[in-house]
Amino acid sequence: MNVFNVMRPFSRSALALLWVLSLLTAATGPISAFAAEDEHAHDEENPRTVSLTPEEQREFGVEIAVAGPAEIVQTLQLPGEVQVNGNRLAHISPRFPGIVTKVGANIGDKVTHGQALAVIQSDQSLSNYEIKTMISGTIIDKHLTLGEAITREATAFVVADLSTVWVDITVFQKDLPRIKVGQQAVINGGHGMPVATGTISYLSPVIDEATRTALARVVLPNPQGGWRPGSFINADVMVAAFPVEVAVPRTALQGMEEQDVVFLKTPAGFVPSPVTIGRKGRDLVEITAGLEPGQEYVSRAGFTLKAELGKDSFGEGHAH
Amino acid sequence: MLQRIIDFSLGNRLLILVAAVLLMGAGYLAYTRLPVDAFPDVSPNLVQVFTVTDGLAPEEIEKYVTFPVEAAMTGLPGVEKVRSLSNFGLSVVNVYFADGMDIYFARQIVGERLQEAREQIPDGFGDPQMGPISTGMGLVLFYYLDDATGEYTLEELRTIQDWLVKFHLQTVPGVTEVLGIGGYERQFQISVRPDQLVRYDITLDEVISRIRSNNLNVGAQFIEKNSEEFIVRSEGLATGRDDLRSIVIKTVHGTPVYLADLAEIEIGGAIRRGLQSRNGRGEIVAGQVIKLFGTNSSAVIQRVEEKLAEINSILPEGITLKPYYEQKSLVQAASRTVTSALIQGILLVAIVLLIFMGGFRPSLVVALSLPFSVLFTFLLMGRFGISANLMSLGGLAIAIGMLVDGTIVMVENIDRRLRLAPPDQSRLRIISRACGEVGRPIVFAIAIIILVFVPLFTLQGVEGKTFRPLAYTVAIAMLGSLLFSLLLAPTLSSMLMRSSRKQGEDDEGAGEPRVVRWLQVPYRPVVGFFVRHRPAAILVAVVLLALGAVILPRLGSEFTPKLREGTIVVRLTMPPSISLTQSQATTRIVERRLMAIPEIKEVVSRIGRGEVGAHTDPINSAEMYVVLQPKDKWRVKGGQETVENLIREELGNVPGVLVNLTQPIEMTVDELLEGVRAELAIKIFGDDLETLKDKADEVAAVVGDVAGAADVQVDQVDGTPQLLLRIDRQAIARYGLNVDDVQSVIKAAVGGETAGQIYEGIRRFDILVRYAPEARSTADAIAEILITAPSGAHVPLDQLVSIREIIGPRQITREDNQRFITIQCNVVGKDIGSFVDEAQEVIATKVDLPPGYLVTWGGQFRLQQEANRRLMVVVPVTLLFVFLLLFGNFGSLRNSLLILLNIPLALTGGIVGLWLTGQNLSVPASVGFIALFGIALENGMVLVTYFNQLVQKGISIDEASVRGSCQRIRPVLMTATTTALGLLPLLFSHGTGSEVQKPLATVVVGGLLTSTILTLLVIPAFYKWFAIRVEKES
Repeated sequence: MNVFNVMRPFSRSALALLWVLSLLTAATGPISAFAAEDEHAHDEENPRTVSLTPEEQREFGVEIAVAGPAEIVQTLQLPGEVQVNGNRLAHISPRFPGIVTKVGANIGDKVTHGQALAVIQSDQSLSNYEIKTMISGTIIDKHLTLGEAITREATAFVVADLSTVWVDITVFQKDLPRIKVGQQAVINGGHGMPVATGTISYLSPVIDEATRTALARVVLPNPQGGWRPGSFINADVMVAAFPVEVAVPRTALQGMEEQDVVFLKTPAGFVPSPVTIGRKGRDLVEITAGLEPGQEYVSRAGFTLKAELGKDSFGEGHAH
Repeated sequence: MLQRIIDFSLGNRLLILVAAVLLMGAGYLAYTRLPVDAFPDVSPNLVQVFTVTDGLAPEEIEKYVTFPVEAAMTGLPGVEKVRSLSNFGLSVVNVYFADGMDIYFARQIVGERLQEAREQIPDGFGDPQMGPISTGMGLVLFYYLDDATGEYTLEELRTIQDWLVKFHLQTVPGVTEVLGIGGYERQFQISVRPDQLVRYDITLDEVISRIRSNNLNVGAQFIEKNSEEFIVRSEGLATGRDDLRSIVIKTVHGTPVYLADLAEIEIGGAIRRGLQSRNGRGEIVAGQVIKLFGTNSSAVIQRVEEKLAEINSILPEGITLKPYYEQKSLVQAASRTVTSALIQGILLVAIVLLIFMGGFRPSLVVALSLPFSVLFTFLLMGRFGISANLMSLGGLAIAIGMLVDGTIVMVENIDRRLRLAPPDQSRLRIISRACGEVGRPIVFAIAIIILVFVPLFTLQGVEGKTFRPLAYTVAIAMLGSLLFSLLLAPTLSSMLMRSSRKQGEDDEGAGEPRVVRWLQVPYRPVVGFFVRHRPAAILVAVVLLALGAVILPRLGSEFTPKLREGTIVVRLTMPPSISLTQSQATTRIVERRLMAIPEIKEVVSRIGRGEVGAHTDPINSAEMYVVLQPKDKWRVKGGQETVENLIREELGNVPGVLVNLTQPIEMTVDELLEGVRAELAIKIFGDDLETLKDKADEVAAVVGDVAGAADVQVDQVDGTPQLLLRIDRQAIARYGLNVDDVQSVIKAAVGGETAGQIYEGIRRFDILVRYAPEARSTADAIAEILITAPSGAHVPLDQLVSIREIIGPRQITREDNQRFITIQCNVVGKDIGSFVDEAQEVIATKVDLPPGYLVTWGGQFRLQQEANRRLMVVVPVTLLFVFLLLFGNFGSLRNSLLILLNIPLALTGGIVGLWLTGQNLSVPASVGFIALFGIALENGMVLVTYFNQLVQKGISIDEASVRGSCQRIRPVLMTATTTALGLLPLLFSHGTGSEVQKPLATVVVGGLLTSTILTLLVIPAFYKWFAIRVEKES
């Protein structure tokens, strides 16, 4: 303030100085023009309403559906393997040890019940005897060659009836409570193999100690022989199917403030309605509260509506 | 002293001339080498450290990467602040250094510390790298690859960009980096089918290590054969898909299991966090050229453009590089604005000189001071590293009129003395005497002008960086003009000016040009009236002052008017949780809407980020560069602003998207500044994000209740959904698994694991092993991922981990090594200081902060308070020094005060000028006022000096006032009109950057009008009260 003391006698000059100061401070003073202007596109009274013109709905792919009953299907996808039907398998062994003098069948041959497969000269009686298949089926394994000295313990042929096969499905511990005998399973071998549907006919009573999994079995007819034992498959087990009063596609659900909502179409615009989710299916979920049958709701592209509602909050968020 | 200098220069005329010519030559050389920019670079002095860690969430990035880097940067010399941002997959640490610190030194010390940081970052979590050696204005050219054939895939185009275009462009001198964005980076993708893994009993880890160990070249020294050496090398590098397919993963009973049995092997695109699209028609591949720090923008762009043409000729048929943004036109436009103003100003000044000086020779001497001062300025600009830009050249344009002032006074006096002197007297002696008479006031007047610009040097931050170059050039140019008037003007006068042909009395009007005589006719009675009726003079002064005082509060205020860059960027901000697919779809919709506007020719958008280095944008942000049609096709007339309004209007509200219109440089610099735009920013520092968020909400609620609070807003920190897989330690223990066993499968199966590279020549492409999409792309599929236990059992993931969907932070920002959250707020209708006091009190009583949590107060208001505080000291001190200079000149307190009286009188004109043209008070306007002070003071000095001379001769004060005014009307009018006319081109300019210069010019021109009139009318009237007491003392 010494500056001003010097100037006191000359009040005009002091005044001028003050003016200069005030000017400079005013010019660099606080500016409230920086306050961001917000576009309020939504209704002022109810801030949670969004209005979109029909063109905008088309532009953003907003689809409307009417809430109504539907059937919810719950499935479990489990890995599995095609196995020979253990009940339709025959191990053919020689009755007496001896030398193989004739082999009449090869792997892959189709054989009928009682058909002779090989001739063996018995070591004891030196007489020839035939070994015959006990079932009709396909030879899937063969363990003898001409001139071989064969013992009683050897399995000469394995004949399997491949008109049906077992599909052994691996059931993990966590899924066990939901898998029951009698459930439908869609068996998919992939690699262009046809898809077949079967019923679970067996569920193993114990769990494998090494793999900690149980086994569910589907018996599949295999007239063409396409289901080759040893193939890996995926099984979609239909664990439940039930009608519900209101179900929406998963695409209709949006999360807002850690809550699931469905956007309802009202005359004023779209309003998010918190919903309670019941049972979930693959594509559909049951809604137990928050959406009444007959109400129109947004089944797709609800994200845009959610974004419009949250617009004010992400304004200043960028990189600060 | 001054006389000695003048005599020396007159005694060594040849030396002086040669020195001047050399100096001007050096100045011209410096001019050709000056870096040319559009605007002064206002980017902060910072070094950025980027670390890319694919797939890591913000929390992990912060913990493993950001923190070690940040910690290493503390304690470095010159570091002002360390800010960091941990985003999904990316860590950015900004190390802000003090302004003026050498950027290479800063980078060097950051580089040294980065070495330490690298050791702290766990393996595989990325390698921190410094950003390009550039600034916010370094993004000089963007281009995209135009494929006319339509046959190239995005991935092929990106390969061309990354491996051909980029390498060629990077060799251009002045280019520091070329970043690719858009399309897909080529990648060999191995999509493993998990059921096949189970089938062959192979783990994903085994697959990865098998691929790694089947892709190698080695050298094995050499053998000698017939006196020659043969180098031995073994080639085992996989060269493509076929080699990869036939990698044997396992052999069972002699049957090999090939990689092809387990997986699909495709060439595809890498995971990306950004893309480019165009005109609503689909994706493109683009590149960004970044200029090296301190290089000449226009020269670099020129070279890049030449290189682009060269590259175009070697690109495959149908592909061309098309620039869609370049800074060159902006640089050219900005320098055109100022150079044309400069040239027009010089011409106008020259005309004024001719008219007033009344002779060609004296005019020539005065006019020569312009090129000398200008070239002198260029020379020193080159020495001080000031680039030629809108502001520095603008400073010159402002100074043009003032540059001649000193020489005018000098030459005018020489002219007069020569006319009056007897013909037999030595011309050199007359000139020496004439110069000695006015030398002192000239030095003081120029010193005062330089001095009044001092407050500008104290401006800080963006304003400081913007206006300091202007102050520098004005000061340098004035110094140059002082040199000219003291050393060269006497020399040149002695060589060019002739003695008067006819002798004349020391009579007013004699020898004066016709214009001046013509002006004196009406002036004399008017000034006589005011000198006789002093109350009338007071009345006029008071009325004008009152007018200024009335208008002043009506002026709006703004910080700095926005510089129009000539390029419009439409910036979209979408929800933080948005997916890239949706973000692309939304951007496409906006692109189509924009393309429907007839003024728009092309729209090129960038979503998210490409190669790291220039942008760190997340995928919810899109920047759309708008290329406009030529002006004659517009439906509206006007500049950028009109089109911007048109776009805003026709684009309308886009549902779910926040639309901002901005400009490329503005946007980049804002991002680097990362400042808070609101007046008040309350920051809470602390450790826990949840607590920070809760406390911030509480603070916001409390502050919102304080009277005057407006627009209270809490930073949105969360908003990105996460699928959180938390390991159940009990469960993994039962199967004998380690956490790592499970996590490595999660990482590789869902995120992918790089298993080496495929080399195609020197181009290399990653091999990425990952589960097939259907086995990893939904939460349900992830839950079914099988983990192989040591026992051989296959365990689905959700038996080992808990899977939850949560909302996580979208990014974590830190400052000074701590997490923080900001609450922004504006204050309306209340003094911000008392608002802060009140708010601090309520927060203290109502918000309970846990230990370790800290609240700080900042924002624009703090910067402004600091600036105001500085100015409160600097302005009075400057005025005091001005006063001391005046006092030193006149040796009279009264005289000095009379001259200071000019200041308020000049202000009025400036204020009225702003008001009439509808402009706001702003920083450039303030700069105008500052310049105005200097000129007004100068005018006052000219008059009062002469009055004193007359009074000392014994002429009565009243008589001296009238006669002095009439005789001195020529220099007063000349200095005023040269300055005003020198600025006139800026006043009427519509060119790029004129929006900043215009308020300045308005203030000076308006102020000069009132100040000159008042100087000529009021000062003579007031002189009586402020006159030196010659008569009474003598």
